[in-house]
Amino acid sequence: MALIQVSGLTKSYGPKQVLRGIDLAVDEGEIVGILGPNGSGKTTAVECIGGLRTPDAGQIAVAGHDPRGAGAELRELLGMQLQQCRLPARIKVGEALALYSSFYTDPRPNEELLERFDLADQRGTRFVNLSGGQQQRLSVALALIGRPRVAFLDELTTGLDPSARRDIWSYLELLRNDGVTMILVTHFMEEAQYLCDRVVILSEGRIIAEGAPDEVAGSGGSQEISFDASTDIPLTELQELPAVTDVSVARGRVIVHGGEEAPQQVIAAMTQRGIPTQRLRITTPTLDDAFLSLTQHNHHEPEAPEEQ
Amino acid sequence: MTTTTVGPTPGNSLLQGRQWHAYRAHLLNETRLHAREPAALIFGAILPVTAIIVMCVFPAAREPVASMGGVSVITAYTPVLILFSSSILGLTIIPGTLGTYRESGVLRRLRTTPTSPLSLLTALITIISGFALLVAGFIMGIPAVSGAGIPTHLGWFALAATSSTVCFVAMGALIASVVSNAKAAPGIGNAIAVVMWAASGMWFPRAGFPDWLRTVADLTPGGATAQLMLDASTTGSVEWQPFMVLLVWTLGSTALATRLFRWE
Repeated sequence: MALIQVSGLTKSYGPKQVLRGIDLAVDEGEIVGILGPNGSGKTTAVECIGGLRTPDAGQIAVAGHDPRGAGAELRELLGMQLQQCRLPARIKVGEALALYSSFYTDPRPNEELLERFDLADQRGTRFVNLSGGQQQRLSVALALIGRPRVAFLDELTTGLDPSARRDIWSYLELLRNDGVTMILVTHFMEEAQYLCDRVVILSEGRIIAEGAPDEVAGSGGSQEISFDASTDIPLTELQELPAVTDVSVARGRVIVHGGEEAPQQVIAAMTQRGIPTQRLRITTPTLDDAFLSLTQHNHHEPEAPEEQ
Repeated sequence: MTTTTVGPTPGNSLLQGRQWHAYRAHLLNETRLHAREPAALIFGAILPVTAIIVMCVFPAAREPVASMGGVSVITAYTPVLILFSSSILGLTIIPGTLGTYRESGVLRRLRTTPTSPLSLLTALITIISGFALLVAGFIMGIPAVSGAGIPTHLGWFALAATSSTVCFVAMGALIASVVSNAKAAPGIGNAIAVVMWAASGMWFPRAGFPDWLRTVADLTPGGATAQLMLDASTTGSVEWQPFMVLLVWTLGSTALATRLFRWE
């Protein structure tokens, strides 16, 4: 029985249908990423699963609790960090941690969180005087202070510089080792690929792809093999290899596109002919490519004229 | 397994224990935050305190005057000033604070934690009541210190002032819970304060109300307060009905505030 079970999640805001029947199951200890373009319903989905919004239809269970009308018991085991949440302007970092600490039965010590999130020097700084990245880190720390079993994190590292981002990733990996189950909403593909066991791509309120990051990535793009061009390269023969879809030459490079088997087939063919492949490069498709191709295929006519 | 074991005792009583910790933490936190931004509090206090100081400066204000029903200006106005400060502080501060929190997403953040609205509301009611009582204390204390006397039957008077203050603050908490707009909420509080003043006889003496209006007015906190303070200042025999009115409004407001609390 999955720890988080969602079926048929549907939600509209007035005439606009934001979620059109989402099914999701997350097992204990899994990290699932929810990706999608703006407006695809990712944040609404997570808010519904966390009990902050009431869906129009659907069954939701988080660790056996229905999040609608969730009591303190669910809140003890579910930590949420959402985008438009703020703290009072004049509260200091240390004070915010102390306040939130008091809500939970077994909170993490403030010192540990200040260290981990690199906020030790900001203990006495007011929230309004923190940088965007610091506010973000404090927000994540507050979501995790109660040692939740499940964490929902929305746009976790948006606006952070690469080193701050890496720090948060390594903290999340520690949590994963502790067995915390997580749902991450992100549009940062590298983050999904790095942290998630499974990703789900949402577009216009529906799940259009689901699976391990590599699987989903592979479904959307092709392998690209390139090497220096020379006159003795058998272009037509390469074209005819089973896994190859197209061959082209540009700016002194031969570029071959194909499926999973293409790189091996190309190299085998070249080796067989005794032709060296100079400056060989193989690019595997990323989640970015998959995301773009999947969401473009799913996208219908634009509803509004393009902005200038 | 659908429930996590959180301690040696069954889940519920331990979680109720947390509400006490949460209340204390909110109490400390909200006191600090209000102290860092005291403008609204000072505004509600400065007018009545200044008025009483000015009155104490004029010796004539201490003399009984026929038009005031045989009491001095100070004696007649002390209840009015207390009513003014308690109602303004009570009915506008918490609506303003919670309205701002709601609009900026602070409440939404709190909603993801095990804390209940009751612990936050009770903490705010405690703090603002405390401050309003402090102001009422000044309004009674300044004449006492300057030799203009204390209200006769001080005990009943103080009890009346305390009950009505807590009542107004609780009503403010109810407004704060149900009115989500940060600007509308204190505005509504102000409007209700004016109605309370009318019921207390500030614009038109209560003695001049037709019977039906008098009954209605006495069922409001404004009217009940006026009745209690008048009795405490003159005859010293207070009735239980106005206290009951205040109690019902206080408890009812707090209960509804918790039930109807809007996080967004």
